[in-house]
Order: sequence, then structure tokens, then C-alpha cells
Amino acid sequence: MHRAIATLLLVVAPLRAAAQGIVRGTVRDKDGAPISSASIAIPGTTLSTRSDLQGAYRLAVVPAGRVRVYAAALGYGPIDTTVALTGGDSTIVDFILSPAPLALPPVDVVSDRVPHFGDRPATSVGQVTERELGRRAVNTVDEALEHVAGVQMVNGQTNVRGSTGYVQGLNSRVLMTVDGVPMNQGDRGGINWDLLALDEIESVQILKGAGSSLYGSAAFGGVINVTTRDVPTGFHTGLRLTGGVYGDPPHPVWRFRDNPGMLGGADFSASYGTDVFGGRISGGDRHSDGYRQQDQDDHLHFGARGRWQHANTRVDFSGAWAADRYDVPLSWCSRGECDDKGQVFQPFKVDTTERGARTDSRKAFLMARVRTTVSPRFAWTARGSWLRTHFVDVRRSATEFGIGDRFGVAGQIEAHPDPARTVIVGTEATYSTVTSDIFGSHSQSEFAAYGQSEQRLGPARVSGGARVDFLAIDGGSLTAVVSPRVGATLNGAGGATWRASIGRGFRSPTMAERFVHTTALGFDVVPNPTLLPEVSWSFEIGHTTAPLFRFMRLDAALFWTEARDLIEPQVLLIPPDTVKIQLQNVVRARIAGFDASLIAAPIPDRLVATLGYTFLDTRRRLAGDSTEGPLAFRPRHLLLVGADYTLGTLGVGADFRFASRPERIELEGFVDPRRVPVRVLDLRAAWKPSNGPVEVRLLAANVLNYIYNLVPETLAPVRTVALTAVWTH
Amino acid sequence: MRKILLLVAVVAACGRGLEPEPICARSLVGLCGTVRFRGAVPANTENVFIAAYLAVPQTCTELINNRRPVIPGSVPFTDSLAAYSVPLDPGAYHWVLAVWKKPGTLTLSPADTQYLRVAGYYRDPADSTQRGVATVPSGSAVSNIDFVVNFDSLRPATDFVTCTAQ
Repeated sequence: MHRAIATLLLVVAPLRAAAQGIVRGTVRDKDGAPISSASIAIPGTTLSTRSDLQGAYRLAVVPAGRVRVYAAALGYGPIDTTVALTGGDSTIVDFILSPAPLALPPVDVVSDRVPHFGDRPATSVGQVTERELGRRAVNTVDEALEHVAGVQMVNGQTNVRGSTGYVQGLNSRVLMTVDGVPMNQGDRGGINWDLLALDEIESVQILKGAGSSLYGSAAFGGVINVTTRDVPTGFHTGLRLTGGVYGDPPHPVWRFRDNPGMLGGADFSASYGTDVFGGRISGGDRHSDGYRQQDQDDHLHFGARGRWQHANTRVDFSGAWAADRYDVPLSWCSRGECDDKGQVFQPFKVDTTERGARTDSRKAFLMARVRTTVSPRFAWTARGSWLRTHFVDVRRSATEFGIGDRFGVAGQIEAHPDPARTVIVGTEATYSTVTSDIFGSHSQSEFAAYGQSEQRLGPARVSGGARVDFLAIDGGSLTAVVSPRVGATLNGAGGATWRASIGRGFRSPTMAERFVHTTALGFDVVPNPTLLPEVSWSFEIGHTTAPLFRFMRLDAALFWTEARDLIEPQVLLIPPDTVKIQLQNVVRARIAGFDASLIAAPIPDRLVATLGYTFLDTRRRLAGDSTEGPLAFRPRHLLLVGADYTLGTLGVGADFRFASRPERIELEGFVDPRRVPVRVLDLRAAWKPSNGPVEVRLLAANVLNYIYNLVPETLAPVRTVALTAVWTH
Repeated sequence: MRKILLLVAVVAACGRGLEPEPICARSLVGLCGTVRFRGAVPANTENVFIAAYLAVPQTCTELINNRRPVIPGSVPFTDSLAAYSVPLDPGAYHWVLAVWKKPGTLTLSPADTQYLRVAGYYRDPADSTQRGVATVPSGSAVSNIDFVVNFDSLRPATDFVTCTAQ
């Protein structure tokens, strides 16, 4: 006991008790160009930072003596060096990183909620970097996620390894966090991908598999963490202009307008920062005519961010507000629902009974975070957040609205009792409310505590932890869910790494699922306040080999999830003659599969090719029914192939996505069952003068104008050619 | 690398995606034909749809429960002639009819009959006083299932089946 207390006192011993100094410098490539977003850390401690747009970094409160400093950036080989630091002094350490396209992502922050530098996670983690976001010339981050192995976007909903399927906008089995702050809607649990401007985003990490042991509800199938861009020192401005055109329907009988649809937008940002404080404002406006009838979208957003750093404490605060007004092409026109020109269906047109349908949507968030590095071995973080969503659906038959609020507070302690061990302990409280004419007025409270310990044992790293969540609806009794997870990684010879993990996932029903009361397909949808949380066990074993045949890197994983109490709509026959639809905990499911990603750099610095493949085998069984079938909206095969070739200031690239036809959809027999495999080819080109302020990108998405749908009666995007010019100063 | 790009090109070229599908498309399994409209379209018309029954229903419950498809698509009724198609399982359908519907929420119960009227049905080409039988072959469609809808003589379900008191 005395030893434990002594250890604790040693861990939390304040910094001023020991001599300390500052390590600062720059991170550049071999041509002298700054590398932004590089990670710089003192391994085994709480001390880490990222380089800014000039590649500059600063690490304060570093203990004096011989200090090991680690620097890495995606696409570059890491550098690990040791410097001598005198107490009260400042030491400059400049890093020059060499390109290494096969290098693994240098930082993993999503799998353990604390940054790991150079360590491989025990679970599979995908990553979209700032460079990939720019290269793909996308407008919202979800468009870039489609190029991550094992991830499929289905009409705005994220499917990580087949977890979510398509759930008609009432929930998500994937949790989205922004800098660690949960951002799923308070009422429906969905994700607002357009709340954050693309220029605010530095990288996206995707935890594949259950993450509830640290993240709680909604992390049933995975976690997507968006890391926002820090405010750099100095004065900076940025402007992004986008213009584009949608392709016409490939068949004359589907034509629905005389002129092609257009899209365009403008975004700006301005920031100023010093070592002590910094702030940034940003804003933007977009308009799209849409690629089908009644598909216009107008989007306006503003954002702000600030930071303040004093000694060992850093405060970050940010907020954003976005407004959308978009037409709602609810479903395509089937025979007789429009001027069908003698066709069974008209995928570019809408049912005339829904002409004029639109949604007005407002959303906003505020968050603040304080992090104090008490010592190189101990740090604490506290944060508060508020997310509001407000929608009004204007239909001919009825107008519906919903206002959802999600308030959250959290605290976390990060300790490194010794360089080989990391311990985190945290607590969270969330209060969500909804006021709506289809969901009613309700509230949900969630309280959670979690802890995880991680120990390095020679070439192995072992972690274990658990989280307990308490949920209460409308102030009623508490439901408790315990979610443990254990994992291990083993570094083998020649850069090979093995990993394995098993953990529990759960998802609390959203208030929309519990209380929805509306009409669908001509039937009453009735509430079910007694819905239970969905739960699962998720297991995976994976392997990374780098290099493979000197120019490749291979990552592969087998995964297995057993889930029960999954929520699906059920048809109720109420005697004598009434039919209603209700969401119920009725499904047991198994999701097993394999995913692999390969990156090859046969011509270093010039040509990089990627290949991703996911095989999914799903089984679904209804309660009280022994027959089995596949889960809905899960393609058995997902394939991604990409290549990028760079020559001087010019770069060209191509991406191909394939998803096999889902074997099953929900409500089959009630909706148009037409569906086809996904085969989409994107081409892109970029011109970027070295160290110049301007960059021009051209994207031809779905260049073959392949016509397909991911969900019933909803056409997926057609060929879109967009030109983006980015100016930064 | 060349092999990968070739594979992509082949896979991409093989995909045809969704394509236009005229009424009575080759891929249809079911029946298709034309409906000729007569009379004045009632002001409260919501839609007109085609339904089929393997066996002629005798009761209101059978009328509602045995209808195929369960949720039928509608046929445009503003022109004097409209082509239609109905996806159905293979089999001999002994009653193929056009149903007129006025506004109201269907509940898949006999109460639905309050919103529905029989607007016309397929008749035996050899004896137009009798119902015709349309046989859907396995894997394809039966065509030329043509009939007339007369908006001036919409008939309640009780003219055809027995409905007990609800």
C-alpha cells in the first residue's frame, strides 16, 4: 500500500519539482519543404505535439537531461534521436524526414484514447490523412472515407466491416468523435458530416471493431475520430474555390432537364497565433443543383477555434454552425408516379406526390477542452461540449420537425508510471434531449467510467480495460452495461507485427428509435420505449508485414462479431385487423470476415498503388425463428484499387471501388428491390508548384457514369467533374 | 501493376449498372399489358393499381390478404391508354384486376375495402363474360393481358366477395 502511494505521488509530482526545458525546432523534407502535422513526442511520457504549417513545433516542460525525441509523419520514415537538455534552457532539434511511402501511420490516437507514437494498435485502424483529403478533392470527409479498406458509406451512413447496414436515418452503429468529443446526434444518433469544413480537418482515424470499452454507446462497430487542424503560429489565410458539373443521365429516356446540373462553393479561413494563444475563423458556402430531379442543396457554415497555452496547461475551444436547405428526393419515380415515358422506373425523377419536399436543417456545436501536463508521467484532460441539431422536413402531406441537444462533460487522467506502462482512467456524462412532433419530448442521461492499462513486455504490448455505462430514459431507472476489452501486439522480426483483441460493443437505442411515431409505407410506426441496448462481442487477429518484397506493405485481419438484440422494424398484426410497424430487439447476428490492404511503391517518390479488399459473411436470425439469412445491405465483397503517379509539380491518380450486390435488403416486398453491384472509377489530377501558394485539383468522380443505387429507390451519385483551386498564405 | 490496372478495366467495363427498363422488359417475371381507360376520372382518385390473385377470393379477408403484389405500383390513368407490368411469382392467376383507390391509409385489413373499388378486370379472350386466367411462366412474363377500366362503373368489393361486418 505504501509503495502504491509512493508511486502515485511520484507520478503526479508537479513539474516544477524537477528541472525542465523546452525542445523546439522544425520538421522538413529533404528538399527543405516544411512538413505540417508531423508528430513529435518524448516516448513513454505525456509530452507530444504536432508541427504547424511551417513545420515548426515546440515541446514545453521537458525534463532536463538526456531526452529521447521522436518525430514522424505519414509517408515519411520516423526519426528517433536523443538530445541533451539543460534545465531552464531551450534546445533546437530540427528533423529532416525522408519519404517512405510504406511507413505505417506514425500516430494512433483512436484505439486507446491517448496518442501512441510508432506503436501498432491491438485493433485495426484505418487512416485518412490531410494529404489524402486534399488529393481526393472531396467536399466532405465522408467522401474520403469510402477509400478506406473495410469502410463503406451507405447513403451517408458509415458501415465499418458491415456493422451498420442501412437503418433509415434512425441510428448509427459507428461513433464519430471530433478530437475525442462524441458528435453523434442527440436524438437520432446519426452523423453530420458537413458540420466541419474540410479545411478544418487534419486527419481521420477509423477504429474497426467494437470500441465500447473506451467510447461507450454507438461504438458498436467502430469509432471515427476526426482530428482538427491546430492554429499555427503567425498570420495565415486560405481560400478554396470549387466549381463543377454533373453528368447527364446516360440514356435519353432518363433525361429530366435541358441543361446539366452545376455545383460550386467557396471557403475561407484566417488565423493568427503565437506560442501562447491562437485563433482561427472560417466560413463557406456551397450550392449544388444536384444530379437528379429535385436535388438542390444550399449549405452555409461558419467555424471558429482558439487555443491558449500557459506553462503546462493548454485550453482549446471550438465551435461551428451550419445551415442546409436541401430538396428531398425521397425515392425515385416508379411506374405511374411521374411522367415515366413508358419505363418501369425513372431513377433520376421523383414521385410527383413528393414534389416540393425539402428539409431545412441547422446544426451547431461548441466544445472546450483543458489539458494539464502535471508531469511527464501524468496529465489530465477535461472537456465540455454541446451539439444541437434542428431539422424541419417539409412534405406535401405533413411537416415534421425535431430539435436534439446533446450536452457532454468528461474527464480523463493519463499516467505513465514507467516508460513501459500507460494507464488511463476517465469518466463521462451525457445528457440528451429531443423535442419533436414525431419523437415527442424526451431525455436520456448517460454516465460512464472507464479505465485501461497497457504494459510493454519486451517485443509485446498488452492492454486491458473496461467501461461501465449507466443509461436512464426520462429520469427513469438506470440500465447498466459493462464493456471490457483486452488486446495485444507482438513485434516480430523484419518489421512484422501481430495483433489480437477481443472486446464488447454496445449501442443504446436512440430516442428516435424508442419514441418514433409516424407513418411509413402507409402503416403506422408505433413507439417502443422498452427497447434494450444492442450488444456484441468482437474479436480480431491481424498481421502487418513491412516491407514485403522490398516495395510493399501488407496488412490483413480476420474479424468476428457476435451480436444480439439488434434492433429492426417488425410488422405487428394486432387483432382483429390492424397492422403496425415497431422497432424491436429481435435479431441475433454474426458478422465474420477478412480484410486486407496492400500498398506498393514500385517507383519510390513517383508511383504508389493501393489495394484493399474486405470479405463479409453475415448471418441473421430472428428471435423465435431458426431460419438464417444474411444481414441487409451488407455486400459480401468490397474492393478498392488506387494508384498515384507524381512527376514534378504534376500528379495524377485513379481509384476504383467495387461492392458486390447486397444479398438482402430490409422491407423486401414493400420497396423496389432493384440493386446492382457498385463499380465506380474516379480519376484525378493535381498541379502544385513547390512551395507555391496555389494548388489546383481536378476530380472526375464516377467517370464511367455508372448508374447504381445503394439503398432502395435512391440513385447514387453520377459522374461529377469538379475543379478546385486552393490558395494558402 | 499492369495486371491490376487491367483487372480494374475489365471489372469496370463489365458493369452495366441500372438500365432503362421498359414495360414488359425481358427481365420481368410477371405479367404486362395495357389498360384502356373510359369514363370521367373521379376527382378523389388517388391512384389505380393492378392486382392479381392465384385463386378468386371469396371473402373480404382473402381479397386483402391474398393480393399480389402486397404493395402494388400505380398505373398512370390520365391518358386513355397505359401500359403496365406487375412483377409476380410464376403461377396461374385467376383474377387480374385494376383497383381504383381514393385517399386513405391502407392497413392490410378488410377495412381497406372502404378506399378501394374494382375498376375492371382481365377477361377470357374466348368468352368475355368470364374472368381470364393469366399464367406467369417460370423466369419470364406473360404479355397482352389487356383490359378496360371504366371510371363510370367502379364497383365495391362486396359485388365480388362476402364481407362480414367489421
